[in-house]
Amino acid sequence: MRSVAETIVHLAAWLVPGDLRADWLREWRAELAGCRGRGWTERQLAMRSVGAWAHAVWLRADRWRWDVIWQDIKYAARFLQKRPGFTLVAVLSLAVGIGANAAIFGAVRAVLLRPLPFPEPDRLVKLATTSLDKPDSRRGTSSPPDFVDWRRDVDAFESLAAISADAAALTGDGPAEQVPSADVTGDFFAVLGVAPLYGRTITPEDDPVGTPDVVVLSHSLWRRRWGGRADLVGSTIMVDGKPTLVAGVMPEGFAYPLDSQLWLPLRFTARELETQRGAQYLDVIGRLRRGVVFDQAAASLRRYAAHLAELYPRYNEKRTVALNPMRDAMVGDVRPALLIMLAAVGFVLLIVCVNVANLALTGALGRQRELAVRTALGAGRGRLARGLLVESGLLAAIGGASGLLVALWGTRLIAALDAGVDIPLLDQTRLDLPVAAFTVVASALSAVLFGTLPAWHAAQRLDIMRGIKADAGSTVGDRDRQRLRGGLIVLEAALSVVLLIGAGLLMRSFLGLTAVDLGFDPSRIQTFNLSLPPTTYPTPASRAIRVEGLISEIAARADVEAAAAISGLPLSDYNYTISTSTIDGRTLDRDDQMRRSMQVRVVTAEYFRVMGIPMLEGRTFQPADGSGAPPVIVVNRAAAAVLWPDTAPLGRSMTLGTRLGQGGGPAGGTVIGLVDNVHDRGPGAPSRPTVYLAHAQFPVEFISVVAKARGETTELIEPLRKLVAAQDASLPLFRVRTMDQLAREAVAQPRMFLLLLGIFAAAAVLLAAIGIYGVMAHAVSQRTREIGLRLALGADRGVVARMVIGQALTLAMLGLTLGLALGAGASRLMRGLLFGVEPFDPVTFAVAAAGFVVVALAASATPAIRAARVDPADALRSL
Amino acid sequence: MRPLSISACSVLQALVAGARYGFDVIDRTGLPSGTVYPALSRLERDGCVASAWESAEDAHAEGRPARRYYRVTAPGVQALGAATRHYQSLLPALARPARERA
Repeated sequence: MRSVAETIVHLAAWLVPGDLRADWLREWRAELAGCRGRGWTERQLAMRSVGAWAHAVWLRADRWRWDVIWQDIKYAARFLQKRPGFTLVAVLSLAVGIGANAAIFGAVRAVLLRPLPFPEPDRLVKLATTSLDKPDSRRGTSSPPDFVDWRRDVDAFESLAAISADAAALTGDGPAEQVPSADVTGDFFAVLGVAPLYGRTITPEDDPVGTPDVVVLSHSLWRRRWGGRADLVGSTIMVDGKPTLVAGVMPEGFAYPLDSQLWLPLRFTARELETQRGAQYLDVIGRLRRGVVFDQAAASLRRYAAHLAELYPRYNEKRTVALNPMRDAMVGDVRPALLIMLAAVGFVLLIVCVNVANLALTGALGRQRELAVRTALGAGRGRLARGLLVESGLLAAIGGASGLLVALWGTRLIAALDAGVDIPLLDQTRLDLPVAAFTVVASALSAVLFGTLPAWHAAQRLDIMRGIKADAGSTVGDRDRQRLRGGLIVLEAALSVVLLIGAGLLMRSFLGLTAVDLGFDPSRIQTFNLSLPPTTYPTPASRAIRVEGLISEIAARADVEAAAAISGLPLSDYNYTISTSTIDGRTLDRDDQMRRSMQVRVVTAEYFRVMGIPMLEGRTFQPADGSGAPPVIVVNRAAAAVLWPDTAPLGRSMTLGTRLGQGGGPAGGTVIGLVDNVHDRGPGAPSRPTVYLAHAQFPVEFISVVAKARGETTELIEPLRKLVAAQDASLPLFRVRTMDQLAREAVAQPRMFLLLLGIFAAAAVLLAAIGIYGVMAHAVSQRTREIGLRLALGADRGVVARMVIGQALTLAMLGLTLGLALGAGASRLMRGLLFGVEPFDPVTFAVAAAGFVVVALAASATPAIRAARVDPADALRSL
Repeated sequence: MRPLSISACSVLQALVAGARYGFDVIDRTGLPSGTVYPALSRLERDGCVASAWESAEDAHAEGRPARRYYRVTAPGVQALGAATRHYQSLLPALARPARERA
């Protein structure tokens, strides 16, 4: 067997001009023998043999007569110019195929490949507290005491930081506004390795409770709200109603995490560190110590988690910490979907190439005479083949250049996609150098793909005599060529069937998602969030009064049907999970408490009516259920099933493992109502057990207002703004949205992937149809005389038409069979993207198959009709 | 005529210094094989070197494949001299710091 090095040399030998090849091989064998004589390793030999390629390429290029190649290029350009139809179709389809590939590659690069915009991003990791049965989770928040222990005791990390994403109210210096913010511990900026543009960042010196209030601003916020004032650093602004020192401004583009606009110190009191081990709300990121291997760090973290579990079984039992590269933690979930899109768009380019090859092959057939004459005049076959390759190269170059424009437009489109699609880093998609390089490579590859076949064909199968006499006509077209073109059609058909199946499956799951009854009616509901700062509203009672007052004023408006407030809107990624402490006065054991964890929401009386959530039993809250009255709760069906699986919930009672509210007692109470479930995490996720508390009894700082409009939702927001401002001008409204908007965003990602794959599949089927049409039309025109003869001899026109359609269908069926088989394999890779439909869904497969057959029929109809209309007299005359 | 490239000069110099075949030249110049072999081919095309195959007996006696031996021709010696003078004429300029040149 040949060694790797010898194989490399032998492959390169093909490039060496024939007369030099034998000597060349001898010389390189001697070279390798010399190396071997010195006891070189296979690896070193392989490195040395790569030089053989450079040598071979040089020898080949040295033989090229550049004047002749220039001639070929001019000739090819003239040829393409003379056939504007072919050129236009080829260039356009190549431009779209190459451009779409580049655009999707741009997205893949932005989301999955390009290093995160931080120094040494490979060392950045995310730490997620997770349960032992899901040790690979990428998500999971952690508690302050756990974080502080890790930071102190695990030395795999150079630095660790905790983040709590939040929103901050800005007042003074302009209108009140709420901006996305992050509370971060002192090492946050050190972990990311980002230095401030002006001033300083938050540092560990800001960690202790009682140190001055400071804020770091994002570049865009600083520019927008303060016009980029240079003297802002060091001055004081109002954040959440408190005078706060501006410590620094970050450089442009820095907005981690989640588009944060300002950063505040995250501080833990001694009491929090003592009592909050169960409060998992922090995102923790870290920078690995240089030289520490990822797996090592993950293992030591797991060991330490086990140690903590022993120390604090009450909270940490059955918990561990998962370590993930920061990018995986950010984008892990969309990786398969993006790769599927890249594969799909690659299929489209393949189909484009097959189609152009087909067209070019038709061209090569039509040019038989020209090629034959040139051969007769002494042109070598290699020269002719090269001429055809130059033609493909030229086409691909023009197609690629136009594709670059398509890519430019496509990348911008992707980057500008609605934020509701919620794919991290997708907005960073752009046409940069690697994407441009990808375009060039894709073009070159296409040229080889669609150019080789016609060129090879021209070189191999040129029958001079028959070629020159081509005008005299033959009765039967060259069977080999027809077969070759038929094979291309089968391939094209198979690929487009695969794409059809993929698009069909996504369509079915999307329809399934949109058909899910969310459990509430999102129409005509305007929402906005309010955050009641403790400085203005120091007591729970003051918050309750403000919110109740606002709600009743909003509800009193003529254009509002009903209004209410809730502590976390459905579909807003809100999560507030609390364990159940007691049921009917009985304290649960620890496991049971966790198992019966509840989503907790605080609502005002009319919430269920505004949202159209059916009240199944009992009643909603009433004014009498105030702060002095016994605490009452409403539960949803899922919660009732968890808490009281065997009995009716009304009149029963439970408490949660938290104290919120006015009296300081545990949250919970007697069940007065049972409501239906709501898909609060989107149509694809099951409803969670939820306990609703009365706002009057458990007022919170952070609340979403919901108002059901009588008329147009859009006309409601301005009056509502004024109404809020009239009550408290320093109270900013933020996250102003309609429930319809939230419902749309909940399916934005599947919609986008469906749209993309749908476009790819449609393009593929269209191209396949063009291919079938081209092959059949060509076959018919080649066989005009034969068909005329048949007709003259008494053949039925219907039989002739059926013959043509039959041929087309044979090709389509072969392609279909192959496509269904490929589709069955490929669709399994899509499982993660599907909802409510199996990868091997018979309906989808059947519809895709039927659809494709219809398209094939339609594509062959015109050629069939033309065949049936051949005038026997014409055909006979030309014999 | 254009002066030889630096790598071509190195290859020629290696041959003058006694190297006879590709492996040897690579060893003496430290250049990669992908540079040395094309350079040899190019020099041969331009008449600066000539090559001949080692006799099969000699190679057999040593128990290895025959080598292709290169030698520098008279035009090659001339070209090397011209190139060396050319590069030497550049040296003073190169020796001065960039600031002064500007």
